[in-house]
Amino acid sequence: MAEIMVRVENASFRYPNAKEYNLKNINFEVEKGEFLVIMGENGAGKTTLCKVLSGIIPHSQEGSYFGDVTICGLNSKEHALSTLTQHIGIVLDDPESQLFTTEVLDEVAFGAENLELPVDEIRRNAQWAIDVVRMQGYEEKDPTRLSGGQKQRVAIASALTMQPEILILDEPTSQLDPIGTLEVFQVVRELKETYHMTIIMVTHKSEEIAQFADRVLVLHAGEVLAQGTPQEIFRNQEVLDKAWLAIPQASEVCVALEQQGIALNGFPVVLEEGVQQIGQLLNGARKEMGA
Amino acid sequence: MKYYPGTSFLHRLDARVKIILLLMLTILVFMTRNFPVLAVIFVFLLLGWKISGIPMRELGGYLKLLVGLIAFVVLIQCLFQRGETSLIDPILPEFLPLVGGMGRITVEGVQFGLLLGFRLLVIMCLMPLVIMCTRIRELSLGFVKLGVPYRIAFMITTALNQVPLLQDEITTITDAQKLRAFTVFEDGTPLKKLKAYPTLVIPLVMGAMKKSMLIGTAMDVRAFGSRKGRSYLHDIQMGRADMVTLVGMILFCAVLAAANYMLQR
Repeated sequence: MAEIMVRVENASFRYPNAKEYNLKNINFEVEKGEFLVIMGENGAGKTTLCKVLSGIIPHSQEGSYFGDVTICGLNSKEHALSTLTQHIGIVLDDPESQLFTTEVLDEVAFGAENLELPVDEIRRNAQWAIDVVRMQGYEEKDPTRLSGGQKQRVAIASALTMQPEILILDEPTSQLDPIGTLEVFQVVRELKETYHMTIIMVTHKSEEIAQFADRVLVLHAGEVLAQGTPQEIFRNQEVLDKAWLAIPQASEVCVALEQQGIALNGFPVVLEEGVQQIGQLLNGARKEMGA
Repeated sequence: MKYYPGTSFLHRLDARVKIILLLMLTILVFMTRNFPVLAVIFVFLLLGWKISGIPMRELGGYLKLLVGLIAFVVLIQCLFQRGETSLIDPILPEFLPLVGGMGRITVEGVQFGLLLGFRLLVIMCLMPLVIMCTRIRELSLGFVKLGVPYRIAFMITTALNQVPLLQDEITTITDAQKLRAFTVFEDGTPLKKLKAYPTLVIPLVMGAMKKSMLIGTAMDVRAFGSRKGRSYLHDIQMGRADMVTLVGMILFCAVLAAANYMLQR
């Protein structure tokens, strides 16, 4: 059994002045090296959940908080945010507000400097992080002058410099154009495949995550509505309708075919799978016609 | 006001020397009542701009913004500063309560107005020069090495860093207003402009507050203020040239202060 990196037990949270709880009794675990995607409509509690997972709640956000979150064996209530942040890094959705220095290298080194690490270690970590997000050559550039995708990659590098084992990305591509989105997803994919990092990502982009998410967790009105592999979730019409999820196009074609009474050999979530399965179907039909 | 990349002597000068110079000159400018002393500082600063290699039109840009303010200060002082030697007789007779003697312009008033205007002008040549010649990172480190707590140094430098972004924000808001045919800021009367300011200021302030909360969170998750000390990836070192300049500048300011004292007597 794989090591549990994050354990959430009965977590509930309500913002000050909110009528209802924004998170209600959430329970789940994340294993080492797992890529967990959190989906759900606006207001479902996705960002709040990210804050709970990263320790921003209860340390930096006021409100009523119950339950326990254990990050790498540390209960988030009992340890300072600066301790937690060395285990779990977070990238926020707004690329502007999380960059506040004047040079990319300073931005990336900021967290490690605050942790009072030795200078050569900071330099090593920062250079590694910049290499991972492929921002070599931009070290002295002004972060405000970069493109959206580049800004978000710098934000990822800034979290990586603190050498966390887990990375949370809260809708990192919601404000990006298709190229920026692609750049960010490439980096995330590399973090999973090359560095076997545990990744928790909030996103609406089912197409992009379908092929490499291990598990999808669907939030609805502050509760866990469903969790399972992308195949299981994208096939569950009830969940899709309730949480307003958009499914990958390959899955959509499959659903439409099924409604016509034509069954595929499986349930594709990635384009290549869809092409392969529809190809098989067509080949079968061709053979039947020939016979 | 933003760092203007360059390799001039002023750019290379240790940030601490620049901060000390900024402080000494600011104090001198506000202490002195002598035009010759101000004139020497003014010429010294123009020389500084020349050395810095920053185009003079940058300075011109700042001064253009302030011409109105300087003129206003001079005018107000001329009108309201009391003095002995009348230049223009009062418009309202002296015996009236409160407004009596208004409209009188005195030689002393004009002098004082011009002095204040000149002071503003000199300060406006000084501040941008230091800020544009120093990387914000070095400025921050300079403050820290001079004993200012890191939190405060970070506050000062981040505020400086955010000014250009706030300016962009203002442009965005006014553009959005213009697109919806709200053109008071372009063709309205001064009174209408004044009344329209909340439509600009409220979204600006709300946006800035929201943004500062987000920045706060982003700083928290990167362990800001979690340790007593802090490491610095970049360091600044006082070289021989920096020391010589510092001593030279202290002497220069001392001579000016002495001259000021002599002239005042």
